[in-house]
Amino acid sequence: MQIDYWPAWLGGLGIGLFVLLHFWLIGRPAGCSTGYGHICALACRRLKFFHSGEYRDVNNTRLWFLLGIPFGGLLSALLSADPWHWNFSMGMYDAVLPQTATGKALWLIFGGMLLGFGARLAGACTTGHALVGGAMLNPPSLVAGAVFFTSAMAMTWLLFKV
Amino acid sequence: MLHKRKLNILAWLLGVLFGFLMSRAGATTYDLHAKMFLWEDFQLMIVISVAVLVGMAGIWWMQQNGLHSLGTGAPIQFPRKPWQKGLLLGAFLFGIGWAMTASCPGTVPAMLGEGKLPALFVLIGIILGTLAYGVLQDAIQCLRRDG
Repeated sequence: MQIDYWPAWLGGLGIGLFVLLHFWLIGRPAGCSTGYGHICALACRRLKFFHSGEYRDVNNTRLWFLLGIPFGGLLSALLSADPWHWNFSMGMYDAVLPQTATGKALWLIFGGMLLGFGARLAGACTTGHALVGGAMLNPPSLVAGAVFFTSAMAMTWLLFKV
Repeated sequence: MLHKRKLNILAWLLGVLFGFLMSRAGATTYDLHAKMFLWEDFQLMIVISVAVLVGMAGIWWMQQNGLHSLGTGAPIQFPRKPWQKGLLLGAFLFGIGWAMTASCPGTVPAMLGEGKLPALFVLIGIILGTLAYGVLQDAIQCLRRDG
């Protein structure tokens, strides 16, 4: 699926304004990875952690926000020149990832596990730490954002250049 | 002050907007991630820099004026994520996952909407990883109580 993306400054402006709109409408920072905790709560009733503290109320804005995202992606794809279709290709990554479909799927599941576990251990993901935390100049978020970026860059070099 | 259901609908609409913007910014295009980390293309670097700067200016303005939220009617909250144990290790693991999948928890649902099947497997992984963290926390709580 080829998305007709905007010039970078326009994309950045749109996302920056989105961050502010979210603060104004919902009254607190936007975040993505916390919503996955609510999905875990729905999937597993016995899990105490995702039923207590900040996760006590499952039916909240974080969960509904996350559930809205796919429709935005769909809308963007439908408005692109390339007609919407399912596909399993990953562009440049296809040359460096496992070549069998099963191998690729397992690689992606493992990478996803690192994203999910890492985000909880760090307290937030690219949205909560780098985007919103960065805009608030929050020191822990700036450090987390820098580490996200540095380790991703190191791993990408290992993948493509070694 | 909005009723809880209306607030949730508003959050859903914001999610749609976010997914659309992520997609149009290029954050759901795999190659742009590789090219950013290999210093070959600066699309996503400019996107995040401009977004952070716009956010910074707007948040400063909102705080100066003590703006109230439309949805809750209360003053807007600007809670800061704390230093927490494991932040560095967690951020390191997250970065590896980012490089392996060329996606992050916010872009995966948008990619799925675009018909990108790899996102389905990453999504399963994110849920499993989040689940593992919850199970670990429950186990730690259990040990504390018993010990």
